[in-house]
Amino acid sequence: MAENENTENTMIEMIKVSRIYEPNITALSDISLSVGTGEMFFLIGRSGAGKTTLLKLICNMEVPSKGLIEVAGYDINQLKGNDLAHLRQKIGVAYQDFKLLGDRTVAENIAIAMEVSYKKPRAIKQRVKDLLEQLQLVEKHNTITNELSRGEQQRIALARAVANSPRLILVDEPTGNLDASTTEQVMELLNRSRLAGATIVIATHDSSLYRQSKHRVLELRNGTIHSLTEGDQP
Amino acid sequence: MNFWLAVFRQVGRNLHQTWTSQLMTFLTVSLSVLIFAFFYLIYTNMLGAGDRLSDDLRLIVYLEEDPGPEMQQQLRQKINNFDDVEKILFVSRAEAYERFATQLGENSDVLTDMPKDFLPPSIEVVPLQSLRGYNKIKLFSEYLKSLPGAEKVQYGQEWVERFYYFTRLLTIVVILSGTLLILTATFMVAYTIRLTIMGRRDELELLKLVGATNSYIRAPFLIEGILQGLTGSIIGLSALYALFRWISLHFEGPGPLNLFQFTFLPFSEVLIIVSGSIALCSLGSYSSIRKFLKF
Repeated sequence: MAENENTENTMIEMIKVSRIYEPNITALSDISLSVGTGEMFFLIGRSGAGKTTLLKLICNMEVPSKGLIEVAGYDINQLKGNDLAHLRQKIGVAYQDFKLLGDRTVAENIAIAMEVSYKKPRAIKQRVKDLLEQLQLVEKHNTITNELSRGEQQRIALARAVANSPRLILVDEPTGNLDASTTEQVMELLNRSRLAGATIVIATHDSSLYRQSKHRVLELRNGTIHSLTEGDQP
Repeated sequence: MNFWLAVFRQVGRNLHQTWTSQLMTFLTVSLSVLIFAFFYLIYTNMLGAGDRLSDDLRLIVYLEEDPGPEMQQQLRQKINNFDDVEKILFVSRAEAYERFATQLGENSDVLTDMPKDFLPPSIEVVPLQSLRGYNKIKLFSEYLKSLPGAEKVQYGQEWVERFYYFTRLLTIVVILSGTLLILTATFMVAYTIRLTIMGRRDELELLKLVGATNSYIRAPFLIEGILQGLTGSIIGLSALYALFRWISLHFEGPGPLNLFQFTFLPFSEVLIIVSGSIALCSLGSYSSIRKFLKF
């Protein structure tokens, strides 16, 4: 899939996006926003405000009932087959429910994101090792993920999301099960990815993550945009 | 890591995780191939035996009177009007007597008191190979019976008829068993792959989410289907060959098997069975994974 030059500065473009579940539950209504390339962007709001739905729409796990979503210049809902697969390789997602393979080792779970883009086994091994070092989970390399604590599983899900050096990283409640020091490690990892050029969208309840931050914060209430604070930097 | 290396790693992992269901499918494919190939082997040997026996096939037309040279010419022409034949031989009463005496050998003295013209004159007709189908021979014999001066036609009707119906029955058995076993093997492979897919649903969904192409997801399952078809058919055919060797060793010598010159399937047909098995197992596998990828 060729790079779209028009989107050099915009990674996500959403125009009047709504998501309505059957029979008539509006999860999101008329959401319009742009997220720049290399930006760290916070999505906040109470449970049920529509944060997770918004992330799912961006990574094409769900399709909008109305509106347009462009990621890296591509209408993500028009992409099919290999084109969609190749775009997804550039999007790393840390899901709220982790989506880890419980019967596989930590290393295998992280490696899966790189295997689908046919990275060399040696490079995969090295990258897994680096990530586990950054998250202080080196000793868990060969542990079956079902045997990990919730906090550890959360960090493995995040490691998998950033493993393939994606251009867009979507993170749903990254610190829900973590203490303050581990939260710091996670944010460091995300910041490092952002400095390497990735765009980061974080959906969170945790006000400590965004209160002191210079990044933009979008608050959702009942599926609509309640406020959008301006940040200092992309 | 290239595409195929990644795919073969997936195959190895899958075989390791689902080896029990894989083993069941492998055994089903092997047995299906063995049973089908067994019937087919008998069928081809029966056809071969039929061909060999039909080499000796000749129709004997018994005549009322010895035909003169002119009538022989007319009869020859009439016979050739139906179809070209390999050989037409007129046997006079005297020649028939001589032949009979020769066949009796030392016992020919039993003919001493018999008149030398007590045997009827006849025409021996050896049909061409192309005319040796049961229905064709039947039609030809009816035609010969209608020739002027013909009394009776003999060609071992009962034997030919029985053999014909037996090979027809065997054809039906081969077709039916083949169809049923093909369906069984295909469904078993499709079912195993479906079970595997259900067991790995979370993984496959995750693979889609992290950007695995459909080929990347599909290829390991197709390879599993190919492996099941290949190994299953090879083992099934090897078992049949072992059975064939055992029968050949234990029943060689004079007997029905010697008469039929029991032979194994030619290499080309073995290849067709293996290829067919691979194709069907791949089809079962493909149909299962296609349903998942559509979802």
